[in-house]
Amino acid sequence: MPPTLVTVAVGVLIGVALLGPAFDRRSLALVALAAALPNLDAAASLLASGVTNALLHSAFVPAAAAVALYYDTERRESSWLRQRYGWYGVRVAWVAVAAYAVAGIGLDLFNIDSAAVLYPLSDRYYSITGKLVLSTQEGIVQTYVEWGDGWLEVTSPGTTETHRVETWLNPSSGADGDVVRRLRFVDSGWQLVVVIIAAAAAPAKRLLDGGSD
Amino acid sequence: MPSTVVHAAVAFCLAVGLLGEFYDRRALVFVLAVVLAPEIDTFAGWFLDGAHRALLHNLVFTAVAAPVLLWDTTRESSWLRERFGARGVRLVWVGLFVHTFAHMLFDWSHLDGINLFYPITDRFFNLDGEAFFSTAEGFTQTFIEVTTDPETGQQSVDAGQGGTTGNTHVSSPVDPSPDPEPDGVDRRAPIAVQGWQLYLIVLGAFTLVAKKLQSPLPSERDDD
Repeated sequence: MPPTLVTVAVGVLIGVALLGPAFDRRSLALVALAAALPNLDAAASLLASGVTNALLHSAFVPAAAAVALYYDTERRESSWLRQRYGWYGVRVAWVAVAAYAVAGIGLDLFNIDSAAVLYPLSDRYYSITGKLVLSTQEGIVQTYVEWGDGWLEVTSPGTTETHRVETWLNPSSGADGDVVRRLRFVDSGWQLVVVIIAAAAAPAKRLLDGGSD
Repeated sequence: MPSTVVHAAVAFCLAVGLLGEFYDRRALVFVLAVVLAPEIDTFAGWFLDGAHRALLHNLVFTAVAAPVLLWDTTRESSWLRERFGARGVRLVWVGLFVHTFAHMLFDWSHLDGINLFYPITDRFFNLDGEAFFSTAEGFTQTFIEVTTDPETGQQSVDAGQGGTTGNTHVSSPVDPSPDPEPDGVDRRAPIAVQGWQLYLIVLGAFTLVAKKLQSPLPSERDDD
């Protein structure tokens, strides 16, 4: 998975964008936490092998949460969440689900680290990588998804059985038997930029909102 | 540059939150214009070698504009506020934020980077590296590397310095190479390269759609 710091940063960006009037330190922390939550399946992989980037990176988790949230807040006569926390709670809950899906799972999906988004229906890892280029000589060049056998195909590094996602919690041992744990913060320039932007956007939102009153 | 589409997506994602009560379609058009504006230096590349990614791609503009803006908007009779109201003040601040963070910083980490301190000094910088903690090496970061020459004892700092406007050409579909173009040159305009750029486009689109779908909160309804 991409470093959790980057996932949290994207979660913060989503929180700054969508919390609106419910934006405060507590709600932002909750949303950031929701973004990081899927990465906990790395800890679960210590008990059951091969569930990293699968168990909690399944699209069914946020889908189930969204259905439950929709049922409670829209279909029931008196919503439990709204009664307990008001509109604030409803807004924060929706944004947290969005952060879980878009930041927590999405970032892995669009990365060579890959995510098994259909787990447990399918234990295959998916990875949407490629390029989309307009060229005056070749027209539109697109390699993210490809048509194969009537299906849209995306790159897959393997299944939970064959593809091992390494994490600092569950590292593989090197050729000489030494285990090196590596906790990654940022892997590249753009990831550092995303972290910087998130760190700047949160206080900027507070300053700007405070100044307009 | 990562394509303008990527810049715009990140800019929109930031604008949705930072514009607050002033968020509307016209404000988004303003943000888009802010993101596009620095690319004018691409065209300057026809006349002035190496102008792209230098002339309008630097942090000096922000360093000058931010204090001026702060001075004007915090004094009693602010020119900007009197002329354009609270909305104008907000838009200009968000514009400066988006310009600096969604555009300059991303270009800094891309290809040859940007000419950070142009025109004070003429040197391209490229932000690249990684940071991690490993049980074998401890905390390691390679963005800024300080090395000491073992023979002379001289310290050198590598923060991704590249060439100058004289010898750096960041290619673009408008100006693919520093030499005059032959006929049939391949002008390539990347929309997205690699998963993360497409991801950022998806992220920007998602925040715009989600913002539209959000039900108004009681406090927002009062404004109507």
